[in-house]
Amino acid sequence: MWWYVGKRLLQAIPVILGATFLIYMMVFLRPGDPIVALFGDKPVPEGTYQALREQYHFDQPKIVQWLLFLKGAVTLDFGTSFSGQPVIDLVQRAFPVTIKLALMALVIEAVLGVAAGFYAGMRRGKLFDSTMLVVSLLVIAVPIFVFGFVLQLIVGIKLGALPALVSSQATFRELLLPAIVLGLVSFAYVLRLTRTSVIENLTADHVRTARAKGLPDGQVNRRHVLRNSLIPVVTFLGADLGGLMAGAVVTEGIFNVPGVGNLAFDAIRRGETPTIVSVVTIMVLVYVLTSLAVDLLYAWLDPRIRYA
Amino acid sequence: MRLSRRTRVAGVALLAAGSLVLAACGGGGDDSGSTDSVITNFSTEPQNPLVPTSTNETGGGRAVDLLFAGLVSYQKDGSSVNEVAESIESDDNVTWTVKLKDWKFSDGTPVTAKSFVDAWNYGALSTNKQLNSYFFYPIKGFDAVQAEKPTAKTLEGLKVVDDKTFTIELNQAEADFPARLGYSAFYPLPESAFEDIKAYGEDPIGNGPYKMDGKGAWEHDVQIKLVPNEEYDGVRKPKNGGVTLKFFTNPDTAYTAVQTGDLDVLDAVPPSALSTFQSDSSVQAISEPGSVFGSVTIPERLPGFGTNDEGRLRRQAISKAINRPEITKNIFDDTRTPAVDFSAPVMPGFDKDIPGSDVLTFDADEAKKLWAQADDIAPFKGSFVIAYNGDGAGNKEWVDAIANQLKNNLGIDAKGQAYATFDELRSDVTNRTIKTAFRTGWQPDYPSIFNYLAPLYQTKAGSNDGDYSSKEFDDLMTKIAGEPDEDKRYELQSQAQEVLFKDLPAIPLWYSNVAAAASKNVENVEFNWQNQPELHLITKK
Amino acid sequence: MPDGRPSKTRPGQERYVARLEDTPLHDVGALDTTAPPESQWKEAWKQLRKNPLFLISAALILFLAVVIAFPGLFTSNDPTFCRTGKSLRPAEPGYPLGFDRQGCDVYSRMIYGARASVTVGLLTTLIATALGLVVGAVAGFYGRWIDSLLSRVADIFYAIPLLLASIVLLSALNSWFPDRGFWASVLAIVLALALFGWPQVARIARGAVIETKQQEFVDAARALGATPRRNLLRHVVPNSLAPVIVTATVSLGIFIVAEATLSFLGLGLPTSIVSWGNDISAAQNQVRAGQRLGTMFWPAGALALTVFSFILLGDAVRDALDPKAKKR
Repeated sequence: MWWYVGKRLLQAIPVILGATFLIYMMVFLRPGDPIVALFGDKPVPEGTYQALREQYHFDQPKIVQWLLFLKGAVTLDFGTSFSGQPVIDLVQRAFPVTIKLALMALVIEAVLGVAAGFYAGMRRGKLFDSTMLVVSLLVIAVPIFVFGFVLQLIVGIKLGALPALVSSQATFRELLLPAIVLGLVSFAYVLRLTRTSVIENLTADHVRTARAKGLPDGQVNRRHVLRNSLIPVVTFLGADLGGLMAGAVVTEGIFNVPGVGNLAFDAIRRGETPTIVSVVTIMVLVYVLTSLAVDLLYAWLDPRIRYA
Repeated sequence: MRLSRRTRVAGVALLAAGSLVLAACGGGGDDSGSTDSVITNFSTEPQNPLVPTSTNETGGGRAVDLLFAGLVSYQKDGSSVNEVAESIESDDNVTWTVKLKDWKFSDGTPVTAKSFVDAWNYGALSTNKQLNSYFFYPIKGFDAVQAEKPTAKTLEGLKVVDDKTFTIELNQAEADFPARLGYSAFYPLPESAFEDIKAYGEDPIGNGPYKMDGKGAWEHDVQIKLVPNEEYDGVRKPKNGGVTLKFFTNPDTAYTAVQTGDLDVLDAVPPSALSTFQSDSSVQAISEPGSVFGSVTIPERLPGFGTNDEGRLRRQAISKAINRPEITKNIFDDTRTPAVDFSAPVMPGFDKDIPGSDVLTFDADEAKKLWAQADDIAPFKGSFVIAYNGDGAGNKEWVDAIANQLKNNLGIDAKGQAYATFDELRSDVTNRTIKTAFRTGWQPDYPSIFNYLAPLYQTKAGSNDGDYSSKEFDDLMTKIAGEPDEDKRYELQSQAQEVLFKDLPAIPLWYSNVAAAASKNVENVEFNWQNQPELHLITKK
Repeated sequence: MPDGRPSKTRPGQERYVARLEDTPLHDVGALDTTAPPESQWKEAWKQLRKNPLFLISAALILFLAVVIAFPGLFTSNDPTFCRTGKSLRPAEPGYPLGFDRQGCDVYSRMIYGARASVTVGLLTTLIATALGLVVGAVAGFYGRWIDSLLSRVADIFYAIPLLLASIVLLSALNSWFPDRGFWASVLAIVLALALFGWPQVARIARGAVIETKQQEFVDAARALGATPRRNLLRHVVPNSLAPVIVTATVSLGIFIVAEATLSFLGLGLPTSIVSWGNDISAAQNQVRAGQRLGTMFWPAGALALTVFSFILLGDAVRDALDPKAKKR
């Protein structure tokens, strides 16, 4: 198994290299000049301009800039932002917030999604099931920012039940509303997935056998139906963590969450290559690690799978 | 939806230059408010270290202006009074002698002539990469320090005479030069700053009404905490127990924070709340004229818009086809005021009846006629496009509205064209690769109508994006620069605008109002000519 | 992974044989293996015709198609004729849903907005699916280093979050094609979304192909002398299409939502193009201010209904193509 983990991590190297390269090239496609932008629409003195270009290596060929980034990244030096702060500091501040937000969203979607999906699956075709099915489709169909606005307006401002905004502390209470919004779409998927899975398992042989053995219904449902239905759900949730962090661009914007989504979006706007690439690199790392974790978890949940 | 750091003006992120207000001068002021309460003000994470010469956007500007005091301070009406300067005098408008008052930095060290000269030399030298370096261009020797490989380390025109005196030699006569000296680029720096400028930028020591609240007062992406500076004895004496600049990435969220009382002052109400904030009972609404001038620049090189009769007719037709009041009312919810000149109503010497300004009055029939006359000279092909940056709040809305009006009133194809970001628009503009008209905005560096005119329309001037050139106009600019008498300057400025109304290098649109919101917890919220709140005056109820 | 289906075989476990219940085609044995592969589709079609969800979604989509093809049937107003003077006015005769902030007719914009949104969704799905299918099938079928290489390439595109990636790419594309018409604008978004959307399909296609290629009939074909390419095209791919089609239908809705989200971020279609995403984005301010909620409700509702129809269709198609569902 360790051999397998090692192999997977080795495979991640070309992925990370490729992804940073891709992002670099895309940022360079952008025609503006981020250095000119620093001056607003005031005149740009030539000497200062050239000195700044050199500082951010913008005078180097693109491929060299990428290599310079890689060189620094190995020693955890991700360069500096236009405000002269080390990018690693920016990321260190923003990342915990986004992880917190994403994990909260994950818990919300997992608990609610599995509960509702399990219940719906057990009562297939009944009112609750059909309602949930329609609800989940609607949740998927309505853009997340519409939910964001509406919930912020109603729950946050009109009712005042939860903070409508996130402060720099990003407390649990403040993150609750954005986490709900963020988890909403995935909640719909978890619900549908659990439901389908439960329905499949209800008719599976091992469940029938268990019932035939005379095990009480509750035990069968818990141990055989639910546990086995969780396998695809867990896979989904693992893969979703990365998605949640990326999807946070919109949610973080609406709720003023000081996380990586905001950081990345602003950096893209500014053409601040070091920050953009660093954030993406970390997102890629998260993806690689979570998908590895999911696979290992998968094997643990389903003893038939063995990795070599 | 996001507040780009350059939303308000065409990206110019202009700072609130230090400003003072009469009420601050002590006597008769309202001292009833508690002074130990801290005011929270909207801001954005500073994009640069808090060194005055490297801070050119509003986020850092708010902090720098509270932390430093310049030679002069601006009054609410835009006139300037001496702050650190005892006197600024010149016989020929070329060489200026500055004498300083006794003044101290917040760490107790004295502010000397050297504090200013060193700071300016630092700011002007190209290898120091200071974004405000261009402000020093009038000073003799600027070209030498701005070369890519500078041939001098210091500005030739700056000379320390003694501890309290220094002289400034300019490249040419500039009668209103002292009025520029309140701008943040001209603030002094203590000697300790140059030992480690990077560390200094994180935790600056200034000579202004406030100082950093100890080490780590700047929590990145969170806030900057400022407390009153006991060493300060100028015209902006704080009335409160401190100012905390809270950072928001989204003005909508900031507005919500004002509603809930989590934020005391928001200087720019987001577009989403513009229509309602004046009737919103959960906030104090402030709406008054401001200094930002908005326009559409039509480059002279656009086909059909050259420096000839055809071009002039088309420009006038477009100007007359735009129903400004309808847009300021329906799109901006009356938070802008239709323009009647090329500057702003809060400027000293503003004149609302300059001959020729009727070209700004909406008249669809006349517009159609003018356009037809131009078509008789040479038919118009293609469409009229206005470029704008999509990251600036509200740009899309008014550009679309103007395009619709041109379409409906002139019967031509007109549309807006979004650049994703401000810098993309700017680089096409500065490289002259832009093939359309484009939005422009201007907030002056110092309160003077001259600063709305010379940098924008003088031949080859730094921000003359449309490459306008008129000998008549240039001559008037030179005259104004050398004219010591204020009233005569105002007269010449109006004459210069008459020329602009004929040629319309840019189509004046409107002035941005200050549209601000304050929480119910505070009082004495006043705004200066730079659309910034006078934070030192605000008190908690 | 929109439909939540884990890809059965992951890198490093090439020899892993999926458990029977997990393979959509696990009861191939129950089918008449001598019948031509079309029978699966016929079977599915029979299934679909009986499914009320399918009928509802098909009717909605058909209606949508008519709206897109002949918007003039539903309104005689020009959606781009806007008068600032009419800003936010309520409904009046001929303008049943009132006016938006620019003074444009909300109703006719809702009708005409369908075209851009659905075109983006359809084209993106088409390109992403085609690309994903080819890459996934080749990787799954040939295995070995080809698989490793293609899987890594797919990983690169998959690992960068779709939204972030398309934001970066669109900031660039939008500027390179500033004064662009309908098709150029649509293609820019399609390109950005498809470029980072295809690995999803590729993974599913790869998994399905690996499963299919282990079926007896493929072995049989090989034994009968079919070349690998013929085997791939004639036997393996047609029998692996089911999960791919299901994914594609669901993705269609997701791509439509993605276009709206990009517009919301200011990176979508240029405002001169009438689209639901643009109108929703433009209506944000009114919604916050609580005025004329209809300016957001109508385009958002139309968008939601459209996405809803496609997801419903995807569900129905899955039920029909997934043999497990037949066990009922």
